[in-house]
Amino acid sequence: MIEYAVFFFFAAVAVIFALMVVLHRNPVVGALALVASFFALAVMYVLLEAPFLAALQVIVYAGAIMVLFLFVIMLLNLQKQSEEPTRPLQQFLGYAGSAAFGIGLVYYLSKYAVMELPAGPFIADARTVGIRLFEAYIFPFEMVSILLLAAIVGALLLSGVRMEERT
Amino acid sequence: MIPTHWFLILSAILFAIGVCGVLTRKNGITIFMSIELMVNAVNLTFLAYARQFHQIHGLIFVFFVMAIAAAEAAVGLAIFISLFHHRATIDVDEANLMRW
Repeated sequence: MIEYAVFFFFAAVAVIFALMVVLHRNPVVGALALVASFFALAVMYVLLEAPFLAALQVIVYAGAIMVLFLFVIMLLNLQKQSEEPTRPLQQFLGYAGSAAFGIGLVYYLSKYAVMELPAGPFIADARTVGIRLFEAYIFPFEMVSILLLAAIVGALLLSGVRMEERT
Repeated sequence: MIPTHWFLILSAILFAIGVCGVLTRKNGITIFMSIELMVNAVNLTFLAYARQFHQIHGLIFVFFVMAIAAAEAAVGLAIFISLFHHRATIDVDEANLMRW
């Protein structure tokens, strides 16, 4: 029973802060609300018996990626810029379309995706994930490291290191 | 244990909120954060099904999605910094050079 209480509380937290990201005008508030939403999602990962990925969610997403977002928002001094609202037609179509999409998806899931719970516990700790990652998935793992290196070089080049100024 | 479809429904709601953000906002960084929200909703679906079917592959996939989201965030934010230097705004409607 306590599991359900935790689930519904943190689900409500995740949804409310996600709505805040979308509806709030100030991007700094949006970024902080997104951090809160990611923390609530980490709790969901713990409930899904994946503590390793919950830790990764907190460290990588809520820690690293969102700090990057906050740095960029503050670097560009965006909270002073007032964002003019979108056209009313786009506004209406965006809200109505996404609401229809969400309601349809929820209806479909609650009608057709109801499944029996699996028998027996599912062990997905860091040890199991690590063994699988370094045995069967070693090639994609190395590819991701090259991708991250390429992303670092690309970010440096794009964000203003001017080569002609250096020489 | 909480049934799997509760997690799927939460994930669908978060994904729809992310879609709404992408469609209705003009601030580039907010659109980017909405995309991150959608990526996380998909991660939640992966983990819910991984537990349902006792498959460790779902967790590995979430791991890779996180790594690629980090790379995407770095490059995307660099693009927004570059755009801000050129146009002094990150309104995505202003970046209309290639618009028809």
